[in-house]
Amino acid sequence: MSLTPASDIVGKKPGRGLSGLLLVAIPVFLVCWMVIWPILSAIWRTVWIRNDGGTGSSFSLETYVFFFSDQYSLNNLYVTLWTTAVCAALLLVICIPIALYLRFSTGKLAAYVQGLAIFPMFVPSIILSYALIRVLGPNGTVDLLLNAVNLPKIRSPYLTPWGPVIGLVWDNIPLTVLILVSGLGSVSNQSIEAARDVGAGRLATFWYIILPRISNSILVAISFTVLGLFSAFTLPYVLGPAAPEMMGPFMQRTFRDLNDPVMAITQAVIAFGFCIVFGLFYVRSVAKNRAP
Amino acid sequence: MKRRAFMLSVGGAAAGMVLLPRMAFAAPGVIDWYTASDTNILDFWTNVVKPKFEAANPGVMLNLVDAGDNAGQLAIADRAVAAMQTSTDPQADYFESADPRLPAGAIDGGLYVNLKEAGLSNWSKINPLAIDSDYSVPYRGSQVLLAYDTAKLDPANAPKSWADLVAWIKANPGQFIYNRPDKGGSGGNFVRRAIYEANGKDPAAFTTSNFTAEAGEKALTPAWDILKDLSSSLFDGGAYTGGNTPSLQLLGQGAVTIIPAWSDQAISAINTGVLPETTGLVQLQDLALPGGFSRSVVLANGVNKDAAIKLADFILSEEIQSAVLSELGGFPGVAWDYVNQDLRQKYADVIPTTIPSFPGGDWEKAINDGWYRNVAPNVDRNA
Repeated sequence: MSLTPASDIVGKKPGRGLSGLLLVAIPVFLVCWMVIWPILSAIWRTVWIRNDGGTGSSFSLETYVFFFSDQYSLNNLYVTLWTTAVCAALLLVICIPIALYLRFSTGKLAAYVQGLAIFPMFVPSIILSYALIRVLGPNGTVDLLLNAVNLPKIRSPYLTPWGPVIGLVWDNIPLTVLILVSGLGSVSNQSIEAARDVGAGRLATFWYIILPRISNSILVAISFTVLGLFSAFTLPYVLGPAAPEMMGPFMQRTFRDLNDPVMAITQAVIAFGFCIVFGLFYVRSVAKNRAP
Repeated sequence: MKRRAFMLSVGGAAAGMVLLPRMAFAAPGVIDWYTASDTNILDFWTNVVKPKFEAANPGVMLNLVDAGDNAGQLAIADRAVAAMQTSTDPQADYFESADPRLPAGAIDGGLYVNLKEAGLSNWSKINPLAIDSDYSVPYRGSQVLLAYDTAKLDPANAPKSWADLVAWIKANPGQFIYNRPDKGGSGGNFVRRAIYEANGKDPAAFTTSNFTAEAGEKALTPAWDILKDLSSSLFDGGAYTGGNTPSLQLLGQGAVTIIPAWSDQAISAINTGVLPETTGLVQLQDLALPGGFSRSVVLANGVNKDAAIKLADFILSEEIQSAVLSELGGFPGVAWDYVNQDLRQKYADVIPTTIPSFPGGDWEKAINDGWYRNVAPNVDRNA
């Protein structure tokens, strides 16, 4: 066997491709087994439905037709989309300033701010829910403080669609901040100094220098949080209204209380359909980064 | 390898071991016990039943496991059915409160022990009203009643009939809340009381087997109208809490004046200070809010079946049944003659003559789904 000069240069040795494949085989296998296969099986079970008599099965889209013609189910879908959109927007508004501050300031205070921003990650959502009821709920801490200075009570967000929004935003701050801070790492100090030298203001620096560099991170942060928000369960369950309910509690209730697994899986497939869009955003942005 | 790297990798491996799924096998002499009930029941077993039972039966231990909710416990039952088919160990011996008819076909399949024929020495003491099946032992009863804040509502004016309650709710908008009927029995039985109200106040009209789609439509629609009529007068113009505990929390924070609550949960909440001492309890006199008995079952394929049968017998003893009354605030499952005489005197007022009990099964599904579709969306956010 004679080695060609080209293979010598790029260092291609037999077996190396195989060990690379073996290394990725485990995650690929796990993803196929625990993600891809359940998805395919879920789609299969919702379109290949057992006939009334229990004898044999046939192709049918009736559960999807029911979902999209049932106003109650659609309301639940709308409130989920609304909550997700509002939460994602609020997260960006809150987290970009925090991330910018953490990126460009040094010193003790920044360390404390970082600690505070990461703190929600360590609070289980069930504890957070009950704490929020105590603080923002009727006659909660906020009401007591307002009352102490003779101000009227707040309109409590507890058991309204805003309850889960507040909880979910708080809960998702750490992940968003972490992703944005890591994205801001790619913005070099020189480029900002250069922009300042030619007279760019703070806003212009942000808009023309920083934002284009971190747009990818924003996309990643949004797709990550949206996936989490869409499937949120505990916070909407405890803090949200009885109806319309978010898809998480709705699926759980359909599955367990109404003993209707096929309908619950249908709801899950529909939720998955929305999530996959954001998953594709993420995959695209990663692939774009990888491209030489 | 450097010492530091060695320590790191050993430490990492040890930490990783903790995360590995642990193989669990049922240990002989350790009864795997599951409950779907609220924390007060688990506390009662942990603090009262477990020490007494283990003292009376040396060598037998109780492993108390919280299955979360009914569906969680049912998943354990499904696992036991699967284990039965493969003749393996279900790692479950005893359900604190379960319906032996579930999962479907469990009794015919031999999943549960026939306790009537298992030779329980205390079986004959059971209150005949409480027996539901030969496969389960009723050991505690509980009933929903109204808990209210005596600082805001004079006990003399507390509503004592459904009509009074409705009038009070409408006269005091925002001061009443109940939880979603599928998320806890206090709201669930309040909804069922409304269903009785809409159907001639006759608990006998509903049985496990008489549900049909038409009967459901006919019986439930007027009940939804009653509840929809109330919704704008509820807390926040039609809000419903997510469970028994959040309702107690709202009452405790003084946000509402009256809630429906389980008798046992309300009594233990008052005893532990979760609810203030000024909390009053009242039952409707025209037809009580429904309640029911909790019935334990023993799994026939459990490794510790014999010990679990002993446990089923033990909880019917006078000692535990008196504790159900005094510690738990529940009603005993045995006839009142088999409870401590002094206690019987003391609780004479709360001894119910009847506890209306609503059937589960198809009715439950229809009520849960119907309530969410008809009553829950009827929210007046601008009120």
